[in-house]
Amino acid sequence: MSAQSVRVSEELAGLERAGAVARLTLRRPDRRNALSRELLAALHARVDELAGWCGGAGTGSGGGAAGGGGADGGVLACVVTGEGPAFCAGMDLRQAVGDAESGRQLLRSLAELTWKLRALGCVTVAAVHGAAIGGGCGLVTVCDAAVTHAQNTMGFPEVDMGVCPAVVAPWLVRRIGAGRARRVLLMGGLMRGREAYELGVVSECVETPEGVLPAAEAIASRVATGGPRALRATKGLMNELDGSGDLELLLRAAEVSARVLASPDTQARLRSKLV
Amino acid sequence: MVVGERRGEVGVVRLERPERRNALTEGMLEGLSAEVGRQVSGGARAVLLCGAGPVFCAGFDMAAVLDEPARLGGLLRGLAGVVRGLRLSPVPVVIAAHGAAIAGGCALLCGGDVVVTEAGARLGYPVVRLGISPAVTGPGLGASAGWGPARERLLDPGLIGGAAAVRAGIAHECAADAAACLARAGAVAQELARKPAGALDATKALLAELDGSMDEGRARLALGVSLGLVGGDEQARLVAAAWSKA
Repeated sequence: MSAQSVRVSEELAGLERAGAVARLTLRRPDRRNALSRELLAALHARVDELAGWCGGAGTGSGGGAAGGGGADGGVLACVVTGEGPAFCAGMDLRQAVGDAESGRQLLRSLAELTWKLRALGCVTVAAVHGAAIGGGCGLVTVCDAAVTHAQNTMGFPEVDMGVCPAVVAPWLVRRIGAGRARRVLLMGGLMRGREAYELGVVSECVETPEGVLPAAEAIASRVATGGPRALRATKGLMNELDGSGDLELLLRAAEVSARVLASPDTQARLRSKLV
Repeated sequence: MVVGERRGEVGVVRLERPERRNALTEGMLEGLSAEVGRQVSGGARAVLLCGAGPVFCAGFDMAAVLDEPARLGGLLRGLAGVVRGLRLSPVPVVIAAHGAAIAGGCALLCGGDVVVTEAGARLGYPVVRLGISPAVTGPGLGASAGWGPARERLLDPGLIGGAAAVRAGIAHECAADAAACLARAGAVAQELARKPAGALDATKALLAELDGSMDEGRARLALGVSLGLVGGDEQARLVAAAWSKA
């Protein structure tokens, strides 16, 4: 497995904590926070670290047990954001050109990251101040709540590139329902933040990019007024009810996507666009 | 504290405890189920559920819970029973959510086939602040509003206005003010009561089956999560703290 040699760089993903609210930051601004294997590895490490601060939500394990919640209750909410002008431009597909195994590992890593992010014993709030494309928009739909601004660029243009958005599909379906998700994923293309809000991809839409982070932090602070056990038990149940714990489904989706990615047609397309 | 009356073909069921913002006691929840049953068996072709006074319903009567924390269990069971009863009721249920529909009061809305609210209303589930899990509402809210909005509303203790509630799928219509809300809900109930009974009842029953909201296993699991926290340290501490502030 080529991904095993990936070095975890703390610089690629930041994690800070102030009381019961944490902030997870994608830090690859020169590449619009595109999800390379290195960035994904850094995010895995940070999410693992964050999980230790909040106790699990109990995905797929009955949901009835409340999480750890030490004396101080641990982290109850986490704002997820990106450094630089973009939130996340999606998978770094350059790493998948000409290397089927590398593409497969990227997709598996994304699948596992989304599963892990959802299982966190804190409420996640995406602060989508800049472009959120493909897998980047997928990360938004994994979060429990999300804020963007009216003019932002978001969406799932995977099919336009010959890529199958399989890993994000289950999350989008859970977020906006199967009927809307079908149109969004099959039509591809991009949308404005306002439209993402109308569709339910995000929960709040402010007017300016500068307003996004404060609005997301306001949600996080509000969540942090909740009882830790009550929050974790509720999130665990919602994860159970909407099937969020189904890692096997996500890995199967990653395989579907990897097969399409490795096809000669898609490889030719990516080569002409990216290399 | 629950009053029923017949208006033409519509059975009106009203929460009648305005001095306490229609806060729900176990007795009121029992009364609600009984009154809905009475209206339906009396031949009402639609049920209109509303509240007397400035708000529809402010949630559980927490004063009673503070005196005796274990009562919360009875309230949660009663609420689950009422919502289930409304969903299973053979005739359509219209709810007028004016002023406020909070916590248990907001959960009642999951039992409505058509919910009308108003621009100035405040709706939501702030109960995690009391260490209470609104999980009991999870299956019903997920089925009616979708899993994304349900997750947001149950995890974010903030309240939202009437227009946002329509967007979130908690309500279907947002009237300009409380009077318009009650009038519109009444009109919707009258309209539904005039529709062909066989077709309407069969359609309602089928929808309940399709959306999974009547799945007993899921309902039990969700109620169990809410009940699992009853009487716990966190809940006792947060309820007492909120009460001392009030």
